[in-house]
Amino acid sequence: MSDEIRKRIRKVLNNKINSDLKPEMLRDDTPLLELGIGADSIATLELIVALESEFNISINEDDVGPGLIETIDSIADYIIMRLEVAN
Amino acid sequence: MRTVPDLFKSAVKDNPNRIAVVEDGIEITYATLYSMVQDLSSFLLKRGVVKGERVAILLPNSFEYIVAFFGIACIGAVSVPINTAYKEEEVNYFITNSSPRIVITEAKLKTLAEKAARVIGAGVVVIKGVETNWAHSNDGREFSIDCSIDPQDEALYLYSTGSTGKPKRVVRTHFNLIALAENHSQTVGWTENDRILFVVPLSHTYALGNFISSIRVCATLYVLGSFNRNKVIDIIEKESISIFPAVPFMLNVLAESFMQRPRDFSSLKLVISAGSPLSKGVFFKFHKRFGVYPRQLYGSTETGVISINLSEDIENMYYSVGRPVKNVEVKIVREDGALADIDEVGEIAVKSPSMASGYYDLSEETDKAFRNGYYFTGDLGVIDKEGYIFIKGRKKMFINISGNKVNPGEVEDLLLRHPKIKEIVVFGVNDASGNELVKAVIVPKDGMSVKDVVDFCDGKIADYKIPRIIEFKSKIPKSPTGKVLIEHL
Repeated sequence: MSDEIRKRIRKVLNNKINSDLKPEMLRDDTPLLELGIGADSIATLELIVALESEFNISINEDDVGPGLIETIDSIADYIIMRLEVAN
Repeated sequence: MRTVPDLFKSAVKDNPNRIAVVEDGIEITYATLYSMVQDLSSFLLKRGVVKGERVAILLPNSFEYIVAFFGIACIGAVSVPINTAYKEEEVNYFITNSSPRIVITEAKLKTLAEKAARVIGAGVVVIKGVETNWAHSNDGREFSIDCSIDPQDEALYLYSTGSTGKPKRVVRTHFNLIALAENHSQTVGWTENDRILFVVPLSHTYALGNFISSIRVCATLYVLGSFNRNKVIDIIEKESISIFPAVPFMLNVLAESFMQRPRDFSSLKLVISAGSPLSKGVFFKFHKRFGVYPRQLYGSTETGVISINLSEDIENMYYSVGRPVKNVEVKIVREDGALADIDEVGEIAVKSPSMASGYYDLSEETDKAFRNGYYFTGDLGVIDKEGYIFIKGRKKMFINISGNKVNPGEVEDLLLRHPKIKEIVVFGVNDASGNELVKAVIVPKDGMSVKDVVDFCDGKIADYKIPRIIEFKSKIPKSPTGKVLIEHL
């Protein structure tokens, strides 16, 4: 499951990025700041909304600290936790 | 009604028991608000603030903000609202430039305020949060604040971001603000039964115009200190919000946010979109979820509200910013100064009783922008045969991040202070959805990373100004005359 989730997260990032660096070139632990994600609240919120849509979950932005969107790994851990709770 | 205190007192007199402000479920009537305002006015007078002196307001949207705004106005002092998104260097600039006697702030921002205030010897008063210097006594005391204010007296300083140089101070008088409130509220047809949600910062000209208009008609204001989607959705539904001023970014996020169940937004009668262009996609997406079409409003720091789109054929006219509000004139001007024809593109020029007369202490900039009673906006547009205005582009080269203007030069100047940066160009690019992003192309002296750049900016400028896309190159392409060829970047 976690591979599938990571793949879907990469798909979300791919739609959000405006850079020559593609998500498939990223390691799971590469800081997403390299893609301009996490530098400001607008970018962070856009990513949250996209993740909600992809995974059909509600994410409260008050729960989102800088660590949550730091890497693909950190996002995946959060999504897995939320999906397990939902189930 | 000639001054801001007149406007406020008139609302209180007409509707003392009507709810004026709601924050986090706490309701304050116009009568209570008046009592708080008088209390703060008295406090400011005791602190030595005299008529004509400046008082900065560094507060989020809150009832304290509203108390501060009217408390300052009632003693004839001048409000200088400062966006709480700003960081130390930005706050320092606004404080140093406006030289307030006092900075009114909240506990969380006390250290920031004190650092800036110390430079000019201003005082800091905390009125929100834990450990305040002032709180409403609520002991039934009445205060008599008697201040003779002329409509032409200064009431407010705002700052306009330009494509060059530091933000420019724009002075608005009591007359300007009363005109704004009257013209905007009458054009839109707001009433005392309206319930208006303020998420857009009251420190910005956009929210300010809607705020002063709301008080004019004795409506109820709901204030949120920051944009939280779920809170916005909850408030709209539970409190039957009728009017919601927003920016396209908020509308897009609200339209796309996950909802576990259908929500009732039938109370919404007017959703305003301003700050940046509203795309067709967001326009229809928002309507699909909320059942109401957003309507564009156009304005500026220099003029206040210019126009609003109240077209009955909004589905086909969504991309217009509407017709001028009452008593505002708009014309389209060619490069040579002649009036453009119907549907011909030219610069938008505005004449309005709520506009400033110029930029403070910047005669050259003033002469360029304010000519023959008109303010030349720097925006390109057309007017059709029905009088509807359409924005076609900008003459000025600033970047628009979800309604927040970014001066590329400001970001460049900051980053050139980094010891590893040799040369830099900052400009706006569009993402796949058509939103503008800040991009920086850097020629480094030594190896450096994106994180080096972001970390250097962090805490020095507002988050939205930090470059979202950062590229490193060995050389920046230029024309033979030395002009940067942005199109090659």
